[in-house]
Amino acid sequence: MAEQATGHGGRLVGRGRYLYAVSRGLPSDALADVPGLGDGRLEVLEHQGLSAVVSDVDLEEYGEEGLRRNLERLDWLEEVARRHDEVVHAVAEHGPVAPLRLATICLDDVGVRRRVEQWHDALEQVLDRVEGRGEWSVKAFAARAEPQPAASDAAGEGGAAYLRRKKAETLTRAEGEEQALKVAEEVHARLSAVSVASRRLPPQDPRLTGHVGTMTLNGAYLVDTARADEFADAVRAAQADHPEAGIDAAGPWPPYSFAMLEQP
Amino acid sequence: MSSSVQQQPLGRPDTQQAGGQISLVDLLDRLLGTGVVLAGDVVISLAGVDLVQVRLHALISTVREEMTQR
Amino acid sequence: MTEQRRLLPQRLETDAESVERDLFKLVLTIIELVRQLMEKQALRRVDEGDLTDEQVEGLGNGLMHLEQAMDELKARYDLTTADLNIDLGPLGTLLSD
Repeated sequence: MAEQATGHGGRLVGRGRYLYAVSRGLPSDALADVPGLGDGRLEVLEHQGLSAVVSDVDLEEYGEEGLRRNLERLDWLEEVARRHDEVVHAVAEHGPVAPLRLATICLDDVGVRRRVEQWHDALEQVLDRVEGRGEWSVKAFAARAEPQPAASDAAGEGGAAYLRRKKAETLTRAEGEEQALKVAEEVHARLSAVSVASRRLPPQDPRLTGHVGTMTLNGAYLVDTARADEFADAVRAAQADHPEAGIDAAGPWPPYSFAMLEQP
Repeated sequence: MSSSVQQQPLGRPDTQQAGGQISLVDLLDRLLGTGVVLAGDVVISLAGVDLVQVRLHALISTVREEMTQR
Repeated sequence: MTEQRRLLPQRLETDAESVERDLFKLVLTIIELVRQLMEKQALRRVDEGDLTDEQVEGLGNGLMHLEQAMDELKARYDLTTADLNIDLGPLGTLLSD
């Protein structure tokens, strides 16, 4: 992620440029009252028709070594992600935005411009794609399994009967899971139909979300602002059809899942 | 389980609910690009001092390996 | 860079007051994990059909007693299966409820 300085014995010192997002035609004073990381001042670098939003950061914290330490700290991640998100939101108020990955660092403005050049065509495409659109997140879950009364052939004393009961439980659980996955597929298809683009993201760890039960759908949908109500209606219809799936939607957000380039 | 459709205006989140608009997990999944993973290990700490790390991941891997080597 | 971001391992913060219960919970989690794996494996072996009736009966009885013993242990420390549930990352949540 960080461009490395040569020399210095591998130890990065000094300041670098944290790159938050790229937009187009962003007025240079648009972010005047928005704080960057460490309350640093946000700047807009214009290059080849694109506006790169940057601020100064300390390489002790954001250089390769610093990141290796800090990326494992939830408290650091939270603070940086929140501030980064606030900046992305602020940029989104003025036009289409392509957010950059957390901790995209360049040594200096020369480096920033080089990156913008490198990604120029992809960025233009992405900005075209997300203009006038927002991301919606929709999640669905497997319903909690009801304990099943023992089937008649699995009742009874003894080890073999015990194993038959366990087998029956396994089958019931598998059926339940299969059913839940089918519901997730169907909901995803219905919502994709009202979207410009859609993606299924990996399900989230229940310990992180605090949600009990398996997440079966972690969908991201790129929706025209003009069709947002139609999308919300589609979500409500899906909730009505599948009350057991705990379908939960949030948005519109900046188009994180559709505007971020795979950064080497 | 309550279901909801939250609509928030695109733009700067209200400072009072700063941090409340996108859940941290959702945000980190997107900003980090590869998702957030909790390691399957437990560090046991007593009186604020980390003492022992139980590598459950390795333990269970071993058991499974032995099971499939039939 | 596509390496997975890993947070620190879960931290079992304990103190003199609760250390016994906390450690017990960890131990029970591991035992429950092994018990469930044994059960899964037993079901597979039964399905494969290469066990005698005596072996099936013996396996089933053993696992049944093990389950009862676990229930007693959990009850003694007022723990539910959900309390013990852990996610092993790429191995998935092996404790299915």
